[in-house]
Amino acid sequence: MDAIKNYLETMFLNLPNTPEVQKAKYELGQMMEDKYRELIADGKTENEAIGTVIAEFGNLDELAEDLGIDSVLHHSQTFEAGRMVSLTEVKEYLKASSRHAFLIALGVLLCILSPVSTIVMSSIGELTERETFMEALGVIGMFLFIAIAVALFVTSGITMNRWEFMKHQHCSLDFATTEYVHDRRNMYRTTHAVLLSVGIIFCVLCAVPAIIMDALPLPDFIDDISGAAVLIIIAIGVFMIVLTSIKMDGFNTLLKLNDSRSMGGQYVDYQKQENYSNKTVAAIMSVYWPTISAAYLIWSFLSFDWYMTWIIWPLAAIVHKCIKNIWSD
Amino acid sequence: MTRISSDVIRGYNDTMILYLLWDQPSYGYEISKQIKAMSDEKYCIKETTLYSAFTRMEKNGYITSFDGNNPDTGKRRTYYRITDAGRAYYHEKCAEWQLTKEVVEKFIKKQGE
Repeated sequence: MDAIKNYLETMFLNLPNTPEVQKAKYELGQMMEDKYRELIADGKTENEAIGTVIAEFGNLDELAEDLGIDSVLHHSQTFEAGRMVSLTEVKEYLKASSRHAFLIALGVLLCILSPVSTIVMSSIGELTERETFMEALGVIGMFLFIAIAVALFVTSGITMNRWEFMKHQHCSLDFATTEYVHDRRNMYRTTHAVLLSVGIIFCVLCAVPAIIMDALPLPDFIDDISGAAVLIIIAIGVFMIVLTSIKMDGFNTLLKLNDSRSMGGQYVDYQKQENYSNKTVAAIMSVYWPTISAAYLIWSFLSFDWYMTWIIWPLAAIVHKCIKNIWSD
Repeated sequence: MTRISSDVIRGYNDTMILYLLWDQPSYGYEISKQIKAMSDEKYCIKETTLYSAFTRMEKNGYITSFDGNNPDTGKRRTYYRITDAGRAYYHEKCAEWQLTKEVVEKFIKKQGE
């Protein structure tokens, strides 16, 4: 039965996703299933039954006029399958994408951690009374961190070059491959949710240990490096967020290869995408959350009023909702 | 072995389907099975041909469809019922066939001729 389902799905993969096409697919599927069942009941082997059902299926050309897919089947202005991406390629891509995610996340982690070196070294300098030397060491350390991070970005960029074609060329996945990616993404969903929430919690609560350290009667040295503690916690949080977002992106990139208007494109959560009727609003909204995050961090670090800067998040969410209600399609 | 050309029979798929719906509503596979059986397995209608005929005839008002259930699988299945317009159309097609047959027959050489 799977072979028949695959056959049908593949036949319909590049047709527009309209009620008529969905109905036709369902009805044809039912007829094929009925026929298959009866052939099996008549004592045919599975292979014979599948062969007969597929041989007697006919040709979608016959449905072209009824389904309004004439243009799809006979002209070029449509959902061409383009380059087919095979299952092996998809598996390699997912592997590469998860390596890419790790390298980028590690690079970002190192960038955020780079000032830690100067903070810690200058604190040690104050203790050992060799301030200038230790501060210089700290700055060297910082640049070392950044250098490694840059190397990581470049390496991961080069390894992903191989897959650039998916951005420029029109590609599609066949049904079985689409299903594979879809399943993998579903399996990853829980991990994604956990990493994302823990990452966000780390970022939001990053100042807590520093505040506690400040409040406790600890030696000056510990007080000095409490700033470093904030950065370390943010770095870990951001690492998780970046890692999991890029990994999730990998799945979505593959699933988006199939045209969203085609039957094969129904796997992507398009409803998640916001569409704004006004172009200016759309442009502003595309950088909305990054801007809010930047504003939050700048305000927080400049004022160190962590106890109240969080108010930016609920306010931003309310504003976002309002904009969405007014301008969203 | 001689086979039926789908081009020739296309005009009469509707006639066969309407004939089979005459007494009671039916559904896709049942109809294709009956066509095969009544033609002594000489004609097997393709699924796509059948579905195309259903949608076209429904659009023209010759048949109506309603949802029923497949007792074996419990899945939804579409049943088709003939309308009065469908019955009238069937009679027209029968008359047309009589005429066609008469005309074409005149040009067919009998064995031994």
